[in-house]
Amino acid sequence: MDIKKLLFVTKFEELGFDALRSLLSLRNSALEHVVFVNVIERDRVAMRRGKGYQKDEEIRLREAANIRFIDWSETLFEEGMEVGVYIVVGSLVPEVIEATQKEDADLIVIGRSHKGVLEHLYSGSDVTELLRRAWTPVLVYKQLSETTISVEEPFERPLLAIDWSPGSLRAVEYIKALKDTVQEVHLVHVADEKELKGPSAMAIQKTRKEARNKLEEICDKFAAAGIKAREHVYIGDPDDEIEKAARDCQASMIVLGSSAKAAWVEKFLGSTPRKIAEESIYPTLLIPPEKGE
Amino acid sequence: MSKKVLVVDDDPDVRLFSVTVLEENGYTPLEAEDGESGLKMIKAEKPDLIILDVLMPRQSGVHRELKTAKALKDLKVIILSGIAKKTFLRSQKALTEFGGAEIPEPEIYLEKPVEPDELAAVIKKVLG
Repeated sequence: MDIKKLLFVTKFEELGFDALRSLLSLRNSALEHVVFVNVIERDRVAMRRGKGYQKDEEIRLREAANIRFIDWSETLFEEGMEVGVYIVVGSLVPEVIEATQKEDADLIVIGRSHKGVLEHLYSGSDVTELLRRAWTPVLVYKQLSETTISVEEPFERPLLAIDWSPGSLRAVEYIKALKDTVQEVHLVHVADEKELKGPSAMAIQKTRKEARNKLEEICDKFAAAGIKAREHVYIGDPDDEIEKAARDCQASMIVLGSSAKAAWVEKFLGSTPRKIAEESIYPTLLIPPEKGE
Repeated sequence: MSKKVLVVDDDPDVRLFSVTVLEENGYTPLEAEDGESGLKMIKAEKPDLIILDVLMPRQSGVHRELKTAKALKDLKVIILSGIAKKTFLRSQKALTEFGGAEIPEPEIYLEKPVEPDELAAVIKKVLG
């Protein structure tokens, strides 16, 4: 579960070197290799009437990306890291998945999608598509300019949202492996109002107590691994409450287990991981379950 | 028999350029598009010289592996890269500090782009 190799997916406008720098504290754990990925979308170089395939434009875009990556790589090289580069023409998500498999990467870092409302409606976002298809953890990074919070090192104080799903329990192991990077972890379980057993105050308190006890067991595991951990139980809509908990705890990032829901289920019912990844002001790390879970 | 030179670079234009220079100067060119396939080809073909990029997909630390692996460390290497030479050398020093084993310098370091005559001259110089 160590993060040894990180895939940094950028179109440059949404994710710059400052974002990568903020992740270099992962070197305290196991990070030793960064792979840059720039996908030139096909429509930017596609055939045009009277012009044919725009080879010159492809060369210009490739070289612009290459020069930027060389500059970034020089900084990483000087710090003793290994660096790889992919500059490809294609569709973002399939190319990222392919590079992840080729490189056997441990983490994909991607910026928040900047598609317009209509594009989202018809084709969904790249982030959503990636979350659906990737079996590798995905960090959806939020630039400082997009948020009202100041996050210097996302992995410093993560808020880990636990719903007892395989993905969220795998997230516990994932964060535990980062003991030399994480300072403190806040665990939160959001009990949906619909889940509360009975209308009485006692019944609600019982639900809270049960959840808290289970969270305490996880806190003990973190403590045994040398990571300070605190548990919190919130009640309400998970999408809103996780965001509130992150604010209350001054978290640097939200971590959630993601599920392998079918596309149509998410399209109509939505999902908390997807919504938080797309809408939260916090960088969001999504941990998928093991294949087959 | 002409000497075999392996070009390891992910950029097809650079591979085409290097292969053309090699063919025009009587060498037998071999090609690999990334570090992993490059390493496989080195083990299978045992080339006399490797012209190696630095920033590549899959196994970017090929130079380190070549220069520290017992069976490969005597292979001659020309680095052809967009990375500045001083940065590359500093990175090798930093890797040595992290990884332990000292990494010898490549025979020649060339910064891209390079002229055909310059490349031909250094190949000749290295291979004798």
